[in-house]
Amino acid sequence: MNFTHTWLPFIYLYGLGGILFVFGIIITIKSGSFDLSRKAHKKWMWVLLFGFVWYLMMHALMTWAALDIISAYTVPIVLLGMVVVFIIVMLKLRKIREV
Amino acid sequence: MQTFHSIGTTTDWIVMVVYFIAIMLFGSYFGRYTKNTSDFFFGGRRFSWWLITMSIVATGVGSHSFVKYSAKGFEHGISSSMTYLNDWFFIPFFMFGWLPIIVYSKIKSIPEYFEKRFSPSARFLATILLLLYMIGYIGIGFLTLGKAVIPMLPEAFTVLGMTLPITLMGAIIVIAVITGVYITFGGQTAVIFTDLLQGFILLFAGFLLFFFGITYLGGFDMFWNLLPTEWKLPLADFNQPANFNFVGIFWQDAIAGSIGFLFMNQGLIMRFMACKNVNEGRKAAAVNILFVLPISAIVVGNAGWIGKAISVVSPDIISPSVSPDQIFVVVANIIASPGMFGFIMAALTAALMSTVDTLINATAAIFINDVYRPIQQFFKRNVMSDIERDRKELLAARYASIGVTALGVLAVLAFKNFPTVYEAHGYFHSTLTPPLVVGIFLGVFWKRFTPAAVITTFVGGVALMILGARYPGILIAPFDHGIEMNPDHPYSYIRALYNILVCSGAAVVVTLTTQWQRKLITAIREKQNQKMIMNMMVAITVMVFAVVLFNVSVLSVQVLATIAVLILVPLTVTYYVKYDENINTNGLTASSIDVARYLFKGGNPNDQEGEKVFVHLKQVDGDDTVIHFSTKDMAMMKAAVGDLVYISDKRKWMGGLKSIHSVFGAPHDEDGTVYITPDQIKHGLFVEGKILEAEKEM
Repeated sequence: MNFTHTWLPFIYLYGLGGILFVFGIIITIKSGSFDLSRKAHKKWMWVLLFGFVWYLMMHALMTWAALDIISAYTVPIVLLGMVVVFIIVMLKLRKIREV
Repeated sequence: MQTFHSIGTTTDWIVMVVYFIAIMLFGSYFGRYTKNTSDFFFGGRRFSWWLITMSIVATGVGSHSFVKYSAKGFEHGISSSMTYLNDWFFIPFFMFGWLPIIVYSKIKSIPEYFEKRFSPSARFLATILLLLYMIGYIGIGFLTLGKAVIPMLPEAFTVLGMTLPITLMGAIIVIAVITGVYITFGGQTAVIFTDLLQGFILLFAGFLLFFFGITYLGGFDMFWNLLPTEWKLPLADFNQPANFNFVGIFWQDAIAGSIGFLFMNQGLIMRFMACKNVNEGRKAAAVNILFVLPISAIVVGNAGWIGKAISVVSPDIISPSVSPDQIFVVVANIIASPGMFGFIMAALTAALMSTVDTLINATAAIFINDVYRPIQQFFKRNVMSDIERDRKELLAARYASIGVTALGVLAVLAFKNFPTVYEAHGYFHSTLTPPLVVGIFLGVFWKRFTPAAVITTFVGGVALMILGARYPGILIAPFDHGIEMNPDHPYSYIRALYNILVCSGAAVVVTLTTQWQRKLITAIREKQNQKMIMNMMVAITVMVFAVVLFNVSVLSVQVLATIAVLILVPLTVTYYVKYDENINTNGLTASSIDVARYLFKGGNPNDQEGEKVFVHLKQVDGDDTVIHFSTKDMAMMKAAVGDLVYISDKRKWMGGLKSIHSVFGAPHDEDGTVYITPDQIKHGLFVEGKILEAEKEM
């Protein structure tokens, strides 16, 4: 398969998109609206970073599956695993807040 | 291209009619919760995140539609999903910038933000641009609805011996009448609850279709192996073909579309504003984008993927030349049984109606807030009681909904000649979102951004965009990333990059030259004939803008005219608009969220994390603006007199339908009881004997 149809769009999406995403986090932290000294906002930082990795992994896995590098069934299994990790961390963060 | 008519059976039509009657009755039932304009537009700012998340499903999925993603899925495969999976990049800006600002500043519409942050003239221009955007969006919705329904209808029908052809516009007009009914008489609460129901139904219908399709093809392995490799890839080819390429869609959808959808889609904004607080809005946005959109991507595109697989194995059943916009209906008809096909079609059309009704409601909100009220104030027709004014505004809102529906039907004419709905929508996003997107974005995140800069973005940016649209081969081509220009619809997607760049460029240059503008205007003010100079400046600005707008003369002259607009507009605005950076940005930029919170509460926020308490209500007469808890209950909530409180029915599944916001009044000694007035009970829809849950806000 042609690079322009496989990994170039992926690199462009997460390269440029990643710059915008990180810029968004930095600008909101610098402006004070995203305040990491607040417990609730720390939880949101985890959600934001998870979201970025979640989509990056989703596209990477789908591309590997399309290229027959991995089985198509691997995609939902790994993604479900990520959801489980997400839920476990969210529950732990909630407990920290309660303590 | 192969097109279809009269698909479906009588059973399917019966199922569809029953479905629509049920949905309209459901919406009308919740219409009774609409008591004033706040309820009509914002549902009383009371709902839980999960309810808003599900109601956004119907709106989001409907707006992007089964029809257009199935079409692209049929033409290009799984990469049709990419527009659903690229919305995360701007979420930090939304969650910690725009969302708290719109909630805490208590604005009711996006143009209102422009007046507070900049000036009334900025609001006026923002209103025009936003109304164009919203009505265009409604037009796209109606066009999609029409294209979805046409394959099910005969080519013509006979009445009193006359044979009348069924046209796309005819079908759209009938649909518009049906769509207008419950939004006009329901309002936002009706829309939210109708969308909640439809959100579940359409996800179910979409997966049902996928299941039927996979079964029809003989299992997932068979389906997967039938698709060519390029059809399995999640992202389109970088820069080809012209009608579906990654980089164009990245700029059109991931950038302009995402910011447009999150920041300036009044319909979506109103959903978030209907959440009980900012944190619930963040949760609704996060869950929706993280988990619901990927599911929705499968739901809306799978008919196209299934259609492609069937066309590979049995081209006699589905020809590769089927009209892409009809593939959803064709596939659903082949793989679903009679009745089930009617159900799937009902879910599809209902989802589209959800989008359209949300947009109609939102556009009516803009009309009332940014056109009706300012006109009333201008003519000083405010000598009436609050109740009387609210009654009149509610009536006006309902008339506005009808008017907006009609304009939405007319807007279809602008888009119906595009080959597919997808391209029409892409062109629409690329063209109409950049000026407002840049205005909102820089307004929120750049304190130095001035009224002169935002108005120049709206006027000068639009002039540059017009030039780009007129001379794409010269002006947009340098940004095309190697995309081939289609002369019939040049650069439908990548024009978004050009449009964003020219609008941002105008905004940044004007902001950075603010001191020069002020010096020049100060010099003009010192002259005796300053008024004459400024009148001439305004006249020249109008003339040079007209040169661009009406395509007078050659490109070089139009470029000079645009440069003149970019110089004269900021000077004119600097002269006429009174602006104090400290006052106008206070609580309205990301760097002053704390001020916004202070202003929202009317005092210092109390950020101590307390617990929720469960109480019984006790009806008392007294001040309707406060409610009273016991000293112990207030201590558990870590609340003080004057703090904000949200109290709702304990039953979580109600999602906040029965709830109110209020303020802690002086405490009493009756633990587990809240003292509340009859008016508050009525507004919160509380029932005596039911347990209420209370929590301190902020």
